[in-house]
Amino acid sequence: MAKIVVVTSGKGGVGKTTTSAAFASGLAMRGYRTAVIDFDVGLRNLDLVMGCERRVVYDFINVIQGEARLQQALIRDRMLDKLFILPTSQTRDKEALTAEGVARVMDELHGEFDYVICDSPAGIETGALRALYHADEAIVVTNPEVSSVRDSDRILGILAARSRRAEEGKEPVREHLLLTRYAPRRVQGGEMLSLDDVKELLRIPLLGVIPESETILQASNQGIPAIHMKGSEVATAYEDVVARFLGEEKPLRFVQPEKPGFLKRLFGG
Amino acid sequence: MTEDHAGKPSHLRLSGGVFTLSVLRLESLDPAQLESQLKTPENALRFLRNAPIVLDLLQLPDQPLPLRPWMDILRAAGCFPVGVRNASVAQEEAAAAMGLPHLRGRELEPARQETPGGAPASMAPNEVQEGGSTGPGQILRHPMRSGQRHYARNKDLVCLAAVNAGAEVLADGHLHVYAPLRGRALAGVMGEERSRIFCASLEAELVAIAGIYAMPDPDHPLWGKPAEIALQGEQLRIMPLGT
Ligand SMILES: Nc1ncnc2c1ncn2[C@@H]1O[C@H](COP(=O)(O)OP(=O)(O)O)[C@@H](O)[C@H]1O
Ligand SMILES: [Mg+2]
Repeated sequence: MAKIVVVTSGKGGVGKTTTSAAFASGLAMRGYRTAVIDFDVGLRNLDLVMGCERRVVYDFINVIQGEARLQQALIRDRMLDKLFILPTSQTRDKEALTAEGVARVMDELHGEFDYVICDSPAGIETGALRALYHADEAIVVTNPEVSSVRDSDRILGILAARSRRAEEGKEPVREHLLLTRYAPRRVQGGEMLSLDDVKELLRIPLLGVIPESETILQASNQGIPAIHMKGSEVATAYEDVVARFLGEEKPLRFVQPEKPGFLKRLFGG
Repeated sequence: MTEDHAGKPSHLRLSGGVFTLSVLRLESLDPAQLESQLKTPENALRFLRNAPIVLDLLQLPDQPLPLRPWMDILRAAGCFPVGVRNASVAQEEAAAAMGLPHLRGRELEPARQETPGGAPASMAPNEVQEGGSTGPGQILRHPMRSGQRHYARNKDLVCLAAVNAGAEVLADGHLHVYAPLRGRALAGVMGEERSRIFCASLEAELVAIAGIYAMPDPDHPLWGKPAEIALQGEQLRIMPLGT
């Protein structure tokens, strides 16, 4: 029985797709049968970040509309044989994501996988609502800035009111905060909200902090999920996120500026 | 406003903001109807004194409409129309000529529990109820998040988790927030002037009692502290909790 996890945020460009790719890969590395679905109809980024764009024949929308079977549309990952990608269409619009169609695909995935990761589009409209509807858990991706925090807050309200769990009066969706693109030095300079600020504003359990890093860009240009960039800060941070998600204790890293500056060394911290 | 405290010319600074506005849905082409409705003592706009409002023209037939009489009536009632929505092209032009922009807002997301459909800003007569608080008040245990709104009609409202920026809590009686109050809080919505607001940390965008409102700012001595808010005469008094 699959656990369904939505990666969501309200705001765009905060790192949902990057996170979906890394997180799904991390679960598959741990041996879990994992599927990751692109709900961002019209943009279609996930297959690029996962490096499988040339192998897309059928997509999520084809399956929803009965033009292909799920097995035909699922793409096995190049690196991890437990990981499958369900890409989306670039040519249809989000109205193609019918509630019944999505429910049918979710049902079918449910029996085959341990985890289904739903990469949500930005916004609070159809695509985002469909992506979060079936969720058991939600990873709320947030950047350390006021507008992103506000949008995350909004999405948390929607999760609490419009998810299937809410509608059916079941236990609420489990919420996780993932702070991404965190630059401790800029936090220190007062340009960004601090981790504590964000925790205080949103008040949901912290799953991890992903530092701002060039490595992300290199990885996505090569079509390699960031968690494969062995030894890099972001890969380590995403490994920690997967570990914590699976219930392991991991101390937080990459939340302090790297080296104390000259003045700080002189006068102490 | 062109000089700062030191007397130096200040720079023009432009920034964005998200605002929650009350919406008044006009349901008849005849301004006299609104006027007579506003004359009754329990009119629903009482608690919107000094408040900016948006005129929703959805219900009106698609024909040019002289906005001036509407504006005069509303201003006389103490409201500030700041824009229109759901206007036809002709109505939009008329509004623009009056300095009222066409706004494209969205309805607030309903909160998880009981939420009144129209909320008190609508003029529907069923919004107007007999005064007097009944029952033990209502308890909200989950955080109120941006875009959510909760109204405890005829009662007090007790919020055990944060009311975040962009959320709105309303009660006909008192409002208790045992967590940070960062959004909008309106007590005594139907005009009960003895209603009060109590909060564990005052960080609100807006507080209002019986229609008199204030927008505390971070320089307020009680910002971030436990506070009690009461109506004294025509003014809100913000004091430390427990004095
Ligand atoms: N930790 C990070 N450090 C630097 N850049 C990042 C990081 N996470 C994401 N990005 C970049 O931000 C942009 C948006 O990321 P993406 O995952 O597509 O966001 P979303 O899916 O939320 O729109 C991409 O260019 C991506 O490479
Ligand atoms: Mg994306």
